[in-house]
Amino acid sequence: MKKEDMVKLISSEGFEFVIDKDAAMVSQTIYNMLTSPGSFSETQHGEVTFPEISTTILEKICKYFYWHLQFASGKETEFHIEPELTLELLMAANYLHT
Amino acid sequence: MDRGLVGLCIEAACRSSESVEKWRRQRRSLERLPSQLADALLRRLLARRLLFPSLLEVFKHSAEEIYLRGENSVNAEWMAYLGAFRNLRSLNVADCHKVTSSALWAMTGMTSLKELDLSRCLKVTDAGIRHVTSISTLEKLCISETSLSVDGIPLLSSLKNLSVLDLGGLPVTDQALYSLQVLTKLQYLDLWGSKVSNNGTAVLQKFSKLSFLNIAWTNITELPNLSSIECLNMSNCTINTILEGDGGKAPLTKLILSGATFINEAEALLYCETSFLSFLDVSNSSLQRFCFLPLMKALKHLDLSSSAMRDDLVENVACIGADLRYLNLSNTRVSSAGVEILTGHVPNLEILSLSCTPVDDIAVLSISKLPSVKVVDLSNTNVKGFIRQVGAEPDSVLSLEALESLKHLEKLKMEQTRVRDDALKPLSSFQELRDLSLRSTFLTDVSLHYLSSLPKLINLSFRDAVLTDSGLISFNPSATLKLLDLRGCWLLTRDAILSFCRNYPQIEVRHELAHIIPKDKFGSSRPSPSRSTSRTLWVNQQQGNIPISSYFEDQRLKYSREELLALQYSSLYLVSPLDRGITTSQEELN
Repeated sequence: MKKEDMVKLISSEGFEFVIDKDAAMVSQTIYNMLTSPGSFSETQHGEVTFPEISTTILEKICKYFYWHLQFASGKETEFHIEPELTLELLMAANYLHT
Repeated sequence: MDRGLVGLCIEAACRSSESVEKWRRQRRSLERLPSQLADALLRRLLARRLLFPSLLEVFKHSAEEIYLRGENSVNAEWMAYLGAFRNLRSLNVADCHKVTSSALWAMTGMTSLKELDLSRCLKVTDAGIRHVTSISTLEKLCISETSLSVDGIPLLSSLKNLSVLDLGGLPVTDQALYSLQVLTKLQYLDLWGSKVSNNGTAVLQKFSKLSFLNIAWTNITELPNLSSIECLNMSNCTINTILEGDGGKAPLTKLILSGATFINEAEALLYCETSFLSFLDVSNSSLQRFCFLPLMKALKHLDLSSSAMRDDLVENVACIGADLRYLNLSNTRVSSAGVEILTGHVPNLEILSLSCTPVDDIAVLSISKLPSVKVVDLSNTNVKGFIRQVGAEPDSVLSLEALESLKHLEKLKMEQTRVRDDALKPLSSFQELRDLSLRSTFLTDVSLHYLSSLPKLINLSFRDAVLTDSGLISFNPSATLKLLDLRGCWLLTRDAILSFCRNYPQIEVRHELAHIIPKDKFGSSRPSPSRSTSRTLWVNQQQGNIPISSYFEDQRLKYSREELLALQYSSLYLVSPLDRGITTSQEELN
């Protein structure tokens, strides 16, 4: 796997999630960060830090990215969300435009 | 609900009362919740019947817009919580019958509220409005059909920021209206059914920004000039003159005079600038000559239903037809000759209603020459579906064939006509048709079979027909079909309908014996309090339990030909066409 095809998402606690660029681009916000013209550090290093998003939530979001790709390709499974996570996840999803 | 993560989260949060319990303790998250998410979550909770007063508490910092219209449970306790919502901008509690004047006390002094709808809250009186008048930020207030008295109206004069005020159905007198003249920001004023008379109308001129005025069902006969008015409703008034007086002409775009009686037709609209008018409703009015119509060059929407419009006056419509999109001629004496006059003059006409007129198949030919038509209503007309031509071979042509030339035709209504099976054959090639309504005791399985080939059909109404079980089973609807209305098809059995529903679970079927709503639609749609769904639920449960028995054979055993004939005579339906229908079904069954 080439390095350019991956991105690193960093949670508020500093945990790093390395995922496929295609998956991360499910989020309109990340898509804009990675493709916007000009030399944002995000575009150059393929790294995005989310000081507002906790590790648990960011992990769930990464799972969602992959689930979404699968769902779009026709594999209809359910994406389970624990009730305890709904509010935090809701706000993060809203911020990430997913 | 969209499949995005936001939608999934809201869905997960509203799955059950247990899931609500799990997240409602996260006080910090709830405070930070952006308002549009809070509002969406509230709406979903309400639709899932999971919202209760103390749960409202957690939204008091975040919610900005709350829509509770028609929720019977909303009472003083709910209002007590809502009164503490510091960022609430808009609250709709219309039709909430438990909202009383004292319940509104909790709203006293709310600081962000701009819009409040209390329409038809019957227990709200003058005392309740006193509480409301303490909310000085209000810009929009709807209190139509509350129990406000004439003494309560002047209290509203303290709400200086009001731009929208709905006082429909309230006893507003000339005196009371006079007290409201300080509300100079008013743009929208609804006074239908009030006691305002010609003496009070001068006050309306003080509202220099007024663009919408509804004075339907009042005794006003002469309306003075209001130079900013754009939309005027004087339905069911007796009209002498409209907007007569000095000053600039009003830029009228919408005029509703439905059911109005005109004292002098020629003078009534003499003072109005009608060349910008795009919407005119004169249905049910006393107009006889329509002499003002030729001036209304910009009309897009014209409702002449139940008026005295007739063939020799259609010329007045044709000459302003260039922009016309909607034309309603139902319940008039316009015949096929009148429709013919329109051809060539209404190039943009999209919606045409001719129901309850004496038009026949010649009109169908004329309609086929209207290039933009999308919706046609020919219900209750003399349309038979074929035109007899003397000496020609064959001696009759199917008139509906002509409509094939209409590339945009999406909706066709032909209820209660004398069209028979064979005349409907051309329908099978209507590629764009999405909506079709047929209702006749002349139609049988054959007609439904023709409709199998319509590729884009979404709604199909096939009522009162001699449709048999085998006709329904052999019907092969397009994948797009969502609604099949079979009410009045008295030969159908419950088993056949349920079996059809099992084969096509995406279709909602309506019939006296079963009303089946697809499960996915049932789950996501907001259950309205007025529509009882208990029966539907029952049907849905039953659906699963019915053994896949041989309903087909069952039918043959159930009725003999004699019994069917006996059934036929016991009904109110016409006799002759049924013979054929039943014969067909018997042949197919055997």
